[in-house]
Amino acid sequence: MSTCETVRDAIYQATALLDDQKWNDWLSMCDESFQYSITSWSPEINYNMTYLAASKKDMHHLVDLLPKHNTDHSPLHRHTSVYSVTPSDDGKTAKAVSSVLIFQNMLDGTNSHIDAGESRLFLIGRYIDTLQVEDGKATFLSRELKLDNRRLDKGSHWPL
Amino acid sequence: MAARNHDQWMATPPLQKGEWIDSRVYTDYQIFEEENEKIFKNAWVPVCHESELSKPYDFRTTSIAREPIIVCRGPDNQVRAFLNVCPHRGMMIERRPSGSFFEGQPSGNPKRMTCMFHGWQFDMKGSCVYVSREKEGYQDRLCKDDVGLRRLRCEVKFGGFVWVNLNDKAPDLESWAGKPFECLRKSLEAEPLEVFHYHKAIVDTNYKLWHDTNCEFYHDFMHYHNRVTGFNDAYFARKNEAFDNGHIVVGTFEVNYDKYEGFESRASLSFPHLPPNQWYMIDLFPGINFNLRGSALRCDVVTPLGPNKTMIEFRGLGLKSDSKEDRMTRINHHNSIWGPFGRNLHEDLIGVQGQGNTMMPGTEPRRVLHGRQENQTIHDENGMRHYYDEWGKWLNRLPSSPDKPYAAASAVTAAE
Ligand code: FES
Ligand SMILES: [Fe+2]
Repeated sequence: MSTCETVRDAIYQATALLDDQKWNDWLSMCDESFQYSITSWSPEINYNMTYLAASKKDMHHLVDLLPKHNTDHSPLHRHTSVYSVTPSDDGKTAKAVSSVLIFQNMLDGTNSHIDAGESRLFLIGRYIDTLQVEDGKATFLSRELKLDNRRLDKGSHWPL
Repeated sequence: MAARNHDQWMATPPLQKGEWIDSRVYTDYQIFEEENEKIFKNAWVPVCHESELSKPYDFRTTSIAREPIIVCRGPDNQVRAFLNVCPHRGMMIERRPSGSFFEGQPSGNPKRMTCMFHGWQFDMKGSCVYVSREKEGYQDRLCKDDVGLRRLRCEVKFGGFVWVNLNDKAPDLESWAGKPFECLRKSLEAEPLEVFHYHKAIVDTNYKLWHDTNCEFYHDFMHYHNRVTGFNDAYFARKNEAFDNGHIVVGTFEVNYDKYEGFESRASLSFPHLPPNQWYMIDLFPGINFNLRGSALRCDVVTPLGPNKTMIEFRGLGLKSDSKEDRMTRINHHNSIWGPFGRNLHEDLIGVQGQGNTMMPGTEPRRVLHGRQENQTIHDENGMRHYYDEWGKWLNRLPSSPDKPYAAASAVTAAE
């Protein structure tokens, strides 16, 4: 498989693991130095905002403590399309840009008798990923989810 | 007591007057309209922060009680507010959320606010400076002096927030909110602040339910983070203090942020004049919240959209002088619990949405209890009692029976 194909596969596999809420399996696709962030440009305040920034260790704390928190359990469904994969000159890493739409399949976040079962568009944005490619295996070094949304309603406790 | 039948469910609770309210205050369309008219059109609202319009000719648009507002910074560095309404045929003069008038627009010249519709132009003081084909159409019957913008009361205060009041005759901002701000005035005014976070939520709930959540800390039981970093003797001794005009202040204590796995002390980046890891909360009538947790300031502003629909705008602020690294640390502290993907805000929003589900227009009027008495400390509900006493006066409605006039009620919570 080419580097580009390996990277693309890894991004789609990560999408499936996140959709299935297999947080630890997703994190096992990430290097120890992994950095995760959710960002958004705000024309309102004219500022490049960071909504969440976390290391791999931070992400482990975050998912480990989920059972202690009161959470909207409406499943999220990500539709990812990899737009570009750009390998580095030495071929050891690659940068990938993907479009992502995140739908929320309503369960308990609003009025479940009325809304449960309905799917709503929750967020749109782009994944900007850096991956390491070694022996035909891609590992995430960083992921930035650059959101277009600044209206986030109830937000989320989950990795996106 | 066992579960109750309808009569028991609707019976007056064994509490004092003022210790419960009727849920119609959250569900009634008429009350929502009256609140816009009698409260929001007469109250000071921090519509944005001056760092959002940092250069001359920068602007921000917003609204209060459906009235569109534009805030802009003049070449003299003064921040002014106007109705964002063209005096000609009512077009919204500026459609963007923010920007600069320094450059020209398709319909108009640089350094002017231009209404795109027929090209009337206004300067940063709101004076009309150009009417297209003025003489041809109006001869000497109407001139530019007759069609200036509607200027609004505007003050930049309490840490650089831009406050607007739609009522020309309202008391000044200092007499409206100066006293509750006393506890943080030195910290907020030591040096310029800057907004680093903005997002909004639209939730199917009444705006007062959001403000109630900001006014009562009994719900810390809902937040794992607050239980592990907070619940100790100093926490339970925190005072809830009532101020004139329906405002309250929740006093401080030292939070142990590092008790939550993976979180850290905020001591190294405390706001000026603030001892390490302190936590102050100022809740202003009718729905504005300032929350300073050591290193980061949060401000919530509500815009009621219906009896059961509320927009909340969230801002996070640090010091303008922050190094890049310090700013990132502040942002992380802010986001850990207050960000849209943080631990507490999501829980608060689920909470008020759940209340919105049970109290929507047409649901049965029932009791909402505000009756905890704990010597005006943190889990006392005196903050909400104080708020609804004020609310009753503004609307001349009794919160426990909103179809009756307020006049009947004595000042239940005056002592608080
Ligand atoms: S409506 Fe603004 S110029 Fe006519
Ligand atoms: Fe809360």
